[in-house]
Parts: sequence; C-alpha cells; structure tokens
Amino acid sequence: MHDTIIGDPSAEQRLPELLLRGQGLSLSFGATQALQDVDIDVHAGERVVVVGENGAGKSTLMKVLAGVLRPDEGVMTFEENDYAPASPGEAIGLGVAMVHQEPTFFPQLSVLENVFMGREIRGRTGNLRWSAMRAEGRGLFQTLALPVRLLDRRMDLLSLGEQQLTLIARALHQDARLLILDEPTSILTDTEAELLFQLVDGHVAAGGGVLYISHRMREFPRVADRVVVLKDGKVVADLPVAAADDQTLIRHMSGRDVLAFQRGEQRSRSERPVLSLHGLTHEGAYSDVSLDVHGGEVVGLYGLMGSGRSEIALTVFGAMRPDSGTMELDGAPHRPQSPAQAVRAGVAYVPEDRKSLGLYALMSCGANLSSAALPRLTRHSLIQRQLESRVVDNGYASLSVKSTGADESILNLSGGNQQKILLARWLANDPQLLLLDEPTRGIDVGTKAEIHRLVDDQAQQGRAMLLISSELPELLALSDRVYVLYQGEIVAELPGGADSEEDVLTATMGADVNEH
Amino acid sequence: MSTDLTRRSPTPPQGSVQDRRPRRVGPVRQLVVPLLLVLELVVFATLSDSFLTSGNMANVILNSVDLALIAGGLTLVIILGGIDVSTGPALGVVAWVVGTLTVADVPAPLVVILAIALGGLMGLINGAIVSLLNVTAIIATLGTAAIWQTTLFGLWGGTDLFAPPVSTYAAADRLFGVPTVAFLVVLVYAALWYVSRYRAFGRHVYAVGNDIEAARLSGVRVRRVTLSTYVLVGSLVGLAAVVYMARVGVVQASSGADLSLAAIAAVVVGGTSITGGRGSVIGTLFGVLFIAVLQNGVVLAGVPPLWNGVLVGLFILVAVGIDVVSDRVSARRGRA
Repeated sequence: MHDTIIGDPSAEQRLPELLLRGQGLSLSFGATQALQDVDIDVHAGERVVVVGENGAGKSTLMKVLAGVLRPDEGVMTFEENDYAPASPGEAIGLGVAMVHQEPTFFPQLSVLENVFMGREIRGRTGNLRWSAMRAEGRGLFQTLALPVRLLDRRMDLLSLGEQQLTLIARALHQDARLLILDEPTSILTDTEAELLFQLVDGHVAAGGGVLYISHRMREFPRVADRVVVLKDGKVVADLPVAAADDQTLIRHMSGRDVLAFQRGEQRSRSERPVLSLHGLTHEGAYSDVSLDVHGGEVVGLYGLMGSGRSEIALTVFGAMRPDSGTMELDGAPHRPQSPAQAVRAGVAYVPEDRKSLGLYALMSCGANLSSAALPRLTRHSLIQRQLESRVVDNGYASLSVKSTGADESILNLSGGNQQKILLARWLANDPQLLLLDEPTRGIDVGTKAEIHRLVDDQAQQGRAMLLISSELPELLALSDRVYVLYQGEIVAELPGGADSEEDVLTATMGADVNEH
Repeated sequence: MSTDLTRRSPTPPQGSVQDRRPRRVGPVRQLVVPLLLVLELVVFATLSDSFLTSGNMANVILNSVDLALIAGGLTLVIILGGIDVSTGPALGVVAWVVGTLTVADVPAPLVVILAIALGGLMGLINGAIVSLLNVTAIIATLGTAAIWQTTLFGLWGGTDLFAPPVSTYAAADRLFGVPTVAFLVVLVYAALWYVSRYRAFGRHVYAVGNDIEAARLSGVRVRRVTLSTYVLVGSLVGLAAVVYMARVGVVQASSGADLSLAAIAAVVVGGTSITGGRGSVIGTLFGVLFIAVLQNGVVLAGVPPLWNGVLVGLFILVAVGIDVVSDRVSARRGRA
C-alpha cells in the first residue's frame, strides 16, 4: 500500500489546488454556540456536501464562508490568500458566491435584470448596454442548457425551481470559483435537480469548487466527492463519499446528549382519537397525511425544515385549507374555515415564531394571556375585568410566570416567560387539542425543563397534544409516538423514547428504515 | 454542451431592437391611463365647448408643470420603496425664498440655482433620516413636512408675499402656442426616463424597491442610492417652486400644501406600485395629465367645486383598481 502511494508520481500531480480553508472557526449567538472550532477545506474541482441535524450549524458555517456572518474566532484563506470578507459583496468580488436557502432576488424585475444586478455592463459613458447584457445572458443560459426564453420573464412568475436555477446561473455568472449552495434541491423537482447537478458538474470540471448543504442522502453519490458531518456546531466526521453510507452518517449525526427528563407514568390514552387526519393533502406542502392523536397522548411530528410539519398544524388550526382529505375532531368532521372556528371547536396552537405570530408585542402580559379567552369573559360585549384577572391569575399561578405583574409589557419578559404566557393563553381555553410548534425554541435550559414538565402534566391530565420540535432528544423524550415526515409525506411511525433516535434520523433523510 | 456553444450566434440578429430593457409592466397596464385620458378628453369636450380650446389646454398644461416636476422625482422615491409626503410644504418654503429673492432683484439664474440647492438640501435631510437613522420613510417625511409647514408659517408671518415671475419663461411665454415651461417638463422626464433605464443608479433604485436585502447581497450600495433618490426629488421640488411662484405670484401660509397628496396620486395612477419595485416615469406623466385634465374639466363641465375632490378621488380608485385586477390576471396567466 505504502509503496504504491509513494511511488506513484501521478498522485502528487493530481493533488488539487486548495481553494478555501477555514481553521478554528467559532461563532456564538448569545448563549448558543453555533460553531465550535470548525475546520473545513474545499479544493479546486471538489464537491463537498455538508450534512447534520437541524440546528447543527450548517447554514451558519456557510454564511461565515460567504461573508454574511463574521466568525468570533478562526482564520480563513481563499486561493492561498488571507480571506476575511466584510460583506457578501466582497466575498463575491473575491470569487465566493452563495445561493441562500431562502432565495433572495428581485421579484418584479426580469430574469435578465436579476442576473446582472450589481454587475451591469456599462459603456464608456456609464450607460447600461442592454444589448450586450442580453447577448451575454443568452450565452450564459445556452451554456448552462437553461431555456433562453426565461430571460425576459418576470422573476416572480417563474416556478420555484426556475428561480433557483436562475440564482445559480447568476452566481456562476459572477465568476465564482467557490459556489456555496444551501439546500438547493429541497424545492426542486427531480428533473430540475438533475439540471442543477449538471450545472455543478460543469462548474467543477472548470476547476471550481462546490460546498453544498443537503439532506437528501440518495443524492450524495451523484453530487459529492466528500461528506462533512456537523453536530452541535462541531465537525464530527469528514469522509470520502464512498465511505459515507447512510448508516455511518446517521451514526455520526445522532448521539446528542440525552435529555435528563423522565416522562410521567400516569398517561392513560383515550380509547377514541381526539384528532384524526385521513389522506390530508395540500399541494406543495404535504400529501396523503393520515394520523391520530388520542387524549392523554403526546404525538411528535418530526421532519426537516420544509417537510410540511408546521403546515399540517396550521391546517388543523384552520389557517390553511387542505386540497383534499378529511379531518375529524372528537369523532365529528372538522372543517375549520378560519382559526377562529378552530378555536371554537377546541383547538389551540402555540406557533413556531413566537415574536411575529404569537405575541401582541405592544400589550401587557395580562392582555396577552387573556386574549384567547376574551369571548368567554365578556358580558353585553364588555370585558368583565374581574373575570379577566381571575384567568390571568390562574395562568400566572399554574405556569409560575416570572414578571412584575400583569401590567408589565410582554417585551420585558425573557423568551421562556413569554412562552409560558402563550401556553397559559391557550390552556385558559381548556382546549381538546393542543398544537405545539417548537415550544422551547430559544428558551433557557431551566424554563425548558419547566415546559417539558408542563407538557407531561397536561398529558397525564388527559389532554391530546401534537408536538413539533426540531430538537430530536426533546421530541423523543416527550412523545408517546413520533411520525416522521419526509418531503410532505409520513414515512415512518415510531415509538417515543431515546432508542428511536437513529430510526427517526434515517427516516428523516429519506432512507428506508426497514433496511437496517 | 460544446454543440450548444457553437450553435449560438454571437450577436442577436435584431441588433438595436434588442437594446431595450426587458419589459416589465404588462401591455394592458401600460395602456390603461392613456386610454382613460383620451376618454376623459372626449367626455369633457362634449360636456363643455370651452374645454378643448387651445387657450384652455395651454392652461391645463401650465397648471400642471409644478405637479409634474414633483411627481417625476417622487416616482423614483416610490419605486425605491420609500415615500415623501413633505414635497408640498417643502415647495411652499422654497417658493417663499424664491419670492423674497425675486423681490430683492437677485438675478434669475441665481434664484433658480439657489431654489434647486435648497430643495436638494431638504431632500438630503429626508434621505439622511431614512437611510442613516433607519426611520420609516412615511414617519420621517411626515415629521419634516410638519417642520417645513411651520417654518413657512413663521416666514409668512401674517402677510402674503407677492412677487413678479422670476422670468417670463416660467409663466407667460409660449413656444408654438405651448407654454414654454412645458418643455422643461419634457426635458426633466426625458432625463428621468434615461436614468431609470440606462444608468446603473436607476436599476439600483428598482432593486432596492424589490428587496432591500437582495440588493445589499448583490453589492448595491443601498444607503447611497436611497440618499441620492431623496436629494433628486428635493431638487425637483426646488425647481417646481420656481415655476409655482411664477404662475401663482403669491406665497401664503398654506402654499403648496395640497401638492403632496396630488403628487402621490399622480404617481400611483400612473401605474407605479405604492409598495415599490415597479413603475415608470412615463406612466407618471400620464397620471399627472389625467389628474390635471380631470380637475380642469370638472370645473368647466359645471360640476359644483365641492364635488371636484370626490370625482378625482373616485377616478384614482378606478385607475388603481384596474391596475390591481390586471396585475392579478397577468400573474395567474404567467404561472399557469
């Protein structure tokens, strides 16, 4: 073995040029350590895939490399030179372009204008030369085998896939040597994805490099030379693609600290389901979803971002309408036309985005807490302040909210206490079904544990709950059963508990659970 | 892939025809206001004999010059995703300065330069508040509008200021029977049109209005573009004040106050999206004419002045309504 490597002169010749190297990169947001001492490199002609669970730090790492975020510590080099871009513009200028997961573009301008924005072709007097840009745009699109007719279309009239391909074409047109793609295929059809892979192939063949976040393991052999696994902000594995089979990757990605939380023993599951969904479909969000939630049971819903988790909850809550399929609540058909109707039917929803969808930011804690119960607190259309303060006091007591009083502005509270107020708001209505979407996101450890206990208490009291959480250990610890979503479809139903972690992850990545 | 490369011709055969910015506004939308304008002319011509006379038409044009100048600059501000509600009061302040300087026999060219500079400075203040302090444009310009308004009240001090036209060009002169000053509007709009199509600055105004974050990520200097746009509208307000003063001849405490809303109306009727990102100065020119003709024709048709505002408001809603509906239809077709 040694002999062949040392004695093979071509091995040294083929050693490719180092394109980008990051060493000891660390970045924290407040108390959250998003990146810890990360080393990463990409060579010319190399395609590197970065994988990891939700919140492992993948997008953060890409943003650091593309100049969107600045690392707290660590150094980077690009093409052997020091590289510390102060802005995305500077990174682009040096040859590093990123296509973001949530596409940023100019919706009301044409594709041609989008491609050339910020890099217009100008004549000697500074006039824009549309004929030259059009010719170059045509050339670009023809080279990339994209339909030239797109150039004159308005960007917002394109399909999601066409928009994504345009953005990649734009990045390539910026003479990027290193192309960073954040989950580019998550919204593409298979045909569009294949088109994208061909773009990537062409780029790499021309001596460029690609860094690529993806969750679709079956794509890896097609798109990657090397796979880097991130977990909790650290690089835990760096493998050639041949060694990166599904099981190995899952093993590296899982094994987070197990939650020190013991579920209560007293949960008694009701005979009849409180909520059942039959073949629920909403095109572009989820399809053919069937599931049950019984009383006294926490049912977890797990999947990657964009897998349709929140959309299912929003549909049950009446904020989205399904294209087809039926819902039943407590045995009766459930067809809410609005969230208000769903609330009257006994559904409550604590949303994922607390700040923008949950809180009334400019109102007091008390007013926030009582807002969902108001219909019950009025007489002759007037709010009965005594009834209201009773509800508020109850909520404060049962969730041990820490604030100076009900009159305090909700914005003065910590995230954890804000979340408690939101939970109290809905529990005041004594709902049949409680939908919890990321109930502990951005919350300190102590309050997190309190919320876990609260969820468990509610289950023991017989409440039916559907729990969405990106934190797998939490989800597994709290849930009796877990449904796994992959691209809008339920691909597995697994028991709760820490033992299921690898199975859940496998299903999440679109691999077949039964295979191993 | 190499076959693709060899097959493509290096230059498009159409040549200069291709040297257009890609079309963005639907063809239906572009015709709405011109058609409404023609309809308006026909209706008022049948209702009143004195409407379609050269004298009255010259009057309509003369009366709309200051509005046109403001609305032209404002178009870019609105495309940028901003707004400026201080243009009317700003015009009042500059008009007072113009009147005072004219009375003091300051040479006309100097008066014009000073007016443009003062207007530009006021625009710079708006732009600085918006782009450097990150204050929402409507709040920032409501604030400065109140300040300009009060300033004018103080300057006015209870006595109307009368002044002769700074130059006969600005009011009485005619060229081929058309008020000479109308050619100033043609000149300014040609320049604005050129800037919005053939200068990177113009493109960047659209970019910021579409998505400020995307613009920043594309290397557009968002602050500079924002600041420049507000200075531009301010300078045009200054120029408009000169014309206004020459036409009206007097400055009062409320001079110009109604122009803020009229200018916004003209821009919106002209098809520019109030949320930014889309629009054209040519559309605004039609919007200005539409409103000017409406205001004039309604009076000549014998409609009580009280109803004047109601009619103008209704037509604005109709014009914008057509815009919204046609946009929705084209969006549906485009996606299908």
